[in-house]
Amino acid sequence: MLGSYDFCGHYEWTFAWLKSQGQPGLLEAYWEDAIGRDSQAHARDAIVQHGLEGMKAYWGHTMNEESPDQGYTISSEGNRFRMDIHDCPSKGFLLRNNLEQFPDYCDHCIGWIGPVMREAGYAVNHEHNHRGQCWWEMFPENDGHAKAGTETIGARYDSKRLAQWDTGETPIDRFVHAHGVQDKKH
Amino acid sequence: MEAAKIQSALPYRDTKAQGAADFYFAINATFRFIIEKFGIDSWKQYLETMGRSYFEPVNRGWKSGGLEAVAAYWKEFFAAEPNVVVDICRDENEVVLNVVSCPALNHLRAHGRTPVKQYCQHCYYLGQARAQEADMEMRLTGGNGVCQHRYIAKTRGLAPQSMDAIKKVTP
Repeated sequence: MLGSYDFCGHYEWTFAWLKSQGQPGLLEAYWEDAIGRDSQAHARDAIVQHGLEGMKAYWGHTMNEESPDQGYTISSEGNRFRMDIHDCPSKGFLLRNNLEQFPDYCDHCIGWIGPVMREAGYAVNHEHNHRGQCWWEMFPENDGHAKAGTETIGARYDSKRLAQWDTGETPIDRFVHAHGVQDKKH
Repeated sequence: MEAAKIQSALPYRDTKAQGAADFYFAINATFRFIIEKFGIDSWKQYLETMGRSYFEPVNRGWKSGGLEAVAAYWKEFFAAEPNVVVDICRDENEVVLNVVSCPALNHLRAHGRTPVKQYCQHCYYLGQARAQEADMEMRLTGGNGVCQHRYIAKTRGLAPQSMDAIKKVTP
């Protein structure tokens, strides 16, 4: 039986298996369809139907369930929503267990969240450092400040303030006004 | 005196005691995606490859530790899954897992999700691939929420798995 306890391990292994099938766009379709529309249908419904309130409800529940040590913060201002992940429970599991079959596990999040945000009329600014830290801002499509990549919410727990945010050991992937993996700047 | 070293039968450890049940949504969705895109044979190949590759450390432990290691693994495995009812028995010839209440199917149904009808077959394809790596055989009967898994030393004569013995999952 495939279990939930080590889910992140066989989930990451699955990315490599899908990639090995040699079909361009297959992995991106998996994140958008299987994860975004099927597995995370509850998140998609909440966000598409309720926008910012849906984001607060979904991530408030999910991050608490997956990260009981509270290695994250969520905040909002106006129509904008922000998350700072300091100790990602998912990537952390892989790092602690030396599991890496696929080169950029972190892409799976924008892989399903990006298309959901597009459908909800939002776009995403995001960076991840491949060491379990990232930040996200979701904002309405036409938000001019956010379009320019400017952070608009003064996050008290900004992941970029962490001493280990940019050690030069791993690249930092950047997304501006993004709706999916294809919008990666790095 | 040297302190006793506590070794886990699980190769990959998390900081929390149990997994998040919502991950069963993703497991089911992954099965559906692969079956719809590639068909049952490719899904079977996906599970068998995962069984030999991702679970290699477990299989190695089973091969060296025999049925005692198999029983220890499943005991820890199910302790780390939410809302499961299982009875694990071992004698000199086999380990038997009597799953009284499948945590995955229960969670999917409780949240209005539709499990793929082949969901229970994954336990056989994955379990048999892993057992064979450890010179054992695995057989499965039942399904749809209640089932029995048997891990048996390969040296014993054993009838092939009947896929008819594995129930299709109903919504």
